[in-house]
Amino acid sequence: MTGMKKISILALALLLVVSTAFAQGTKEDSAAAGQVELTVLNYIDMSEPNSANEVAMIWDKFSAENPDIKVVREDLFNEPFHQKTEAYVASGQLPDVLYMWPSGRSTSLHTTGSVKDLMPFLEKDGLVDSYNPATLAPQYAGYLGELPNGITTTHMLYVNKKVLRENGLEMPKSYAAMKAMVKPLKAKGIDLIAMDNMDAWVMQSCLFSMVVGRYGGVDWFERVENKEASFTDSWFLDSLKLIDDMYASEMIKRNSLTSPYGSSRGRFAAGKAAFYIDGDWSAGAFQTDITTGQALISKEAQANDFEMIVMPALPGEVISNSNSGVIGTGFGMSANLPSGSAKEEAAWRLIKFLQGEYVQTYRLTTGASFPSNLNVDVDKVVKEANLEPFVAKRAAYYANYNTITPVVDGVLPADVNNVVNTGLQEIGLGKKTPVQVAQAVQKAWNEWESNK
Amino acid sequence: MADIKDTKSARAKVNKALTYAVMFFFTFMAIYPLFWLLMNSFKTTTEFQLNKLGFPQHWTLINYKDAWVRGKFPHLILNSMVYTGVTTVVTLGLSFMAGFGFAKIPHKATKILHGSFIIGLLLTLQSIMVPLFLLINWTGLYNTRLGVLIPYIGIAMPMGIYLGTDYIKSIPNALIESARLDGATYFRIFRSIIVPMALPVGVTLAILTVTGTWNEFMLINILTSSDALKSLPVGVQKFAGALSSDFGKQFAALVIGLIPMLAFYLGFRKEITKGVAAGAVKG
Amino acid sequence: MSKVLSGKDALSSARKEQKRSYWMLVLPAVVIYLSVMAFPTVFSIVLSMTSYNGGKIFGGRIPVEFVGFKWYKRLFVDEYFYLALKNNMWIVLVSVLGQIPLGFFLAYVLYRGLVKLTDFFQTMIYLPCVISTVVIGILWKSFFSPHGAFPEIVRLFKPSYEYGVSNHPILPVLFVILWMYTGTYLIIFMANLQKIDSAVIEAARIDGASEGQSLRYIILPALSGVIVTSCILAISGSLKSFDLIYVMTGGGPANQTSVLSVYMFDKAFKGAPNYPLANAISTVMVTISFILIGLTKWAESKFGGRE
Repeated sequence: MTGMKKISILALALLLVVSTAFAQGTKEDSAAAGQVELTVLNYIDMSEPNSANEVAMIWDKFSAENPDIKVVREDLFNEPFHQKTEAYVASGQLPDVLYMWPSGRSTSLHTTGSVKDLMPFLEKDGLVDSYNPATLAPQYAGYLGELPNGITTTHMLYVNKKVLRENGLEMPKSYAAMKAMVKPLKAKGIDLIAMDNMDAWVMQSCLFSMVVGRYGGVDWFERVENKEASFTDSWFLDSLKLIDDMYASEMIKRNSLTSPYGSSRGRFAAGKAAFYIDGDWSAGAFQTDITTGQALISKEAQANDFEMIVMPALPGEVISNSNSGVIGTGFGMSANLPSGSAKEEAAWRLIKFLQGEYVQTYRLTTGASFPSNLNVDVDKVVKEANLEPFVAKRAAYYANYNTITPVVDGVLPADVNNVVNTGLQEIGLGKKTPVQVAQAVQKAWNEWESNK
Repeated sequence: MADIKDTKSARAKVNKALTYAVMFFFTFMAIYPLFWLLMNSFKTTTEFQLNKLGFPQHWTLINYKDAWVRGKFPHLILNSMVYTGVTTVVTLGLSFMAGFGFAKIPHKATKILHGSFIIGLLLTLQSIMVPLFLLINWTGLYNTRLGVLIPYIGIAMPMGIYLGTDYIKSIPNALIESARLDGATYFRIFRSIIVPMALPVGVTLAILTVTGTWNEFMLINILTSSDALKSLPVGVQKFAGALSSDFGKQFAALVIGLIPMLAFYLGFRKEITKGVAAGAVKG
Repeated sequence: MSKVLSGKDALSSARKEQKRSYWMLVLPAVVIYLSVMAFPTVFSIVLSMTSYNGGKIFGGRIPVEFVGFKWYKRLFVDEYFYLALKNNMWIVLVSVLGQIPLGFFLAYVLYRGLVKLTDFFQTMIYLPCVISTVVIGILWKSFFSPHGAFPEIVRLFKPSYEYGVSNHPILPVLFVILWMYTGTYLIIFMANLQKIDSAVIEAARIDGASEGQSLRYIILPALSGVIVTSCILAISGSLKSFDLIYVMTGGGPANQTSVLSVYMFDKAFKGAPNYPLANAISTVMVTISFILIGLTKWAESKFGGRE
């Protein structure tokens, strides 16, 4: 009866495992006397090279400095994070402090008033002047729902200058010049632009938003709101047509639509593409992984062979060298915390710390984000000996391209933005024309306006 | 005559070879992707970029080391075993009990109760995630092991009742009636007749529940917040799902993710293949 | 208690015992099931007819109103609903016309002893069924990416091959579904074939029946019940399929690989969640499975086998 034997062994093993696990579970420590317990919903990509280090440098440091606060953190990333947020909102039982977007990505947190306005806290502590004023602008529901980590520019065109050099090409001055590179590079088996468009937000956020700004100007969204512009007008239609043209001319390959986000970084670093498009947050991914000491792009190559720019002049653009940007993500405070309570005070202390000088300086050095806190002396940090060349290049990139236009998903309501995202992919697949997509977006906008 | 026989046997040989070729083809198709995964988990990401199909030129275990350290796999595996083990045992017990009641004790409530379980077979888990979250919150079971186990058991119930009732129905009534005449209580009958006789379907149900529970990765994220309570697929998804540029570590994490079930399968191969079949015999 | 129970008393106490036993046996399962599944389901159906729009469900700032079938109407004019439905139907087709026949074919070859190594083949072909969906989804996502293994393999045979974007992005998904579940049906058919008395087949063969004839007149009729059960399993499984697609493609690009459950999930959790609409979708899904399974049962009774 080997079957019976196996089953009894299995049952015994199970019993052992269960008892161990429950014994372990009961050890779960709770806040000691006099400690304030704070629950935090955090957003962290555990697969990022420096995430483990970030936990130690940021969260452990906070706990060490604030022994009277016990932080109970829940780390999630990507879709599971958003699912969990929605579940929290629906139950009305939010964690005390939560990571959130200033925009439609965190719609329900903003519109249901689930988080507090942080402006009064900043004012009370006299901290308003410590932050870049642009980062303290009202957010999705008209108030400061989270304290942003900075300004995020969502479009960054990385250039592999070595590939250009080896193929006798120069830094492109115009869209046409870039387009002309497709052919010679293709002959060598090199793609012009590497991009991962499987997730629908990538195209919209990392390229299309910048294009819309170039054609629609800095104030395109205000004009749409005031009914002075519509999505079927040329500024929006031309933007869609440009994307259509980039796919059709193989500047961006159609098969990028099945490429998972982030998967082309290695190919780009290895010279399989001349350009790579992503958001500014991706810069850190090319830098050294502290745990292994390896980098996708070595320090020397970062200095000599790579550049961070934005798309060159587009045909018929109304403003040039602009980039798309949005207020960064940050942490908000649950509206359930009673005013003046010890918990509220502790939560604010944590939020302040997370966007304070120490954390932002650290995140600048790892390439995670660019500071909103004016007390961080970027020049000084950059000049410090051991920083990788990409940190300095990134600072220069921000200085070079300081005309910032809105990011589509930062201003459009989620229902309308979803239509844009899907439409851009449909253009890539050749399933819809730019005109059809523009009409669909306008229709979604009208619907949203009438439901408001 | 000899000629015909020769061609006949030649044709038989060709047929046989063809059949083997077809079978090997399907077997190859079934295991190649897994083999590909295993090979690539021993390559560095840089090597993978250049050599996607071949054997690793420089075998390395660094991916496993990194994935193991960062993914916190040991306690995730332990948790998965607990959730799967307890869910399976409890589901089995409750399904047999209720199945016995439905199948062999006449009662007017059976029709509606049993029917409601069958509808449960068609429900998608995703549609009840938020109400479940509310429920678990109200009952104060949020972020506890029990708060994961109870929903897991409830979700496995419809299949258990469906298979259990059906199978127990096929146990001859005469056995039960004669036991009743001898004065046996229903519980006694359950213990001494039903459980031993329903074991084959128990194996089926166990396998379905084990694979179903082991695979679950979404509900548990909603029902718990602490990392100490999460399960292996959550860890794999967290680690490998997001990690699309570092292929080496991704593949290593995937291999780690599939080893426990693979070991379970190879260890209980005979029981599993028999069990899956037994369950679907009856309509 | 008197020594001799009257017949009537004995009967009624037995009745009582019967009733009590029934509830004691049935109740634990019923209570867990009703609270975990039935309650949330009813809750979600009710919600699908309200104006609930994010935020605290009870005592939120905006009172929730009853809106009738508004969300259902909205659903039936959405092109992506039909796209998802179509993909679901493809999956049903692949399951019923792909997995089941293929599983039967493989089982038949093994059963008739046309090859040796039965155990080996059976074990290997069933292997994909036991692996976590998360692992399988991520594995195939890497495999089918433009720079993954698939284009490289094609290039072994056709060096000029370039991985374009397919007009039917659902194809790789269907392939993986076929890959994953065929083994289940192999096993199911294998076990049921073994129950057929092989002497009957041998006798027929001696009487001059061809392999095809014995298959047609002996084996298939004997298996009709199992085939119907398999179809029911395949249909309800196909309509619910979520995990694999969610992990492998997330429904993209442009919703081309979306199915109803993924579509519903997007509505419930992405961007501005529309929970009532999502619940309307799941109600529609249950209705469709009812209809399909009803059809299968009808087909069974009409053309059906013995059992």
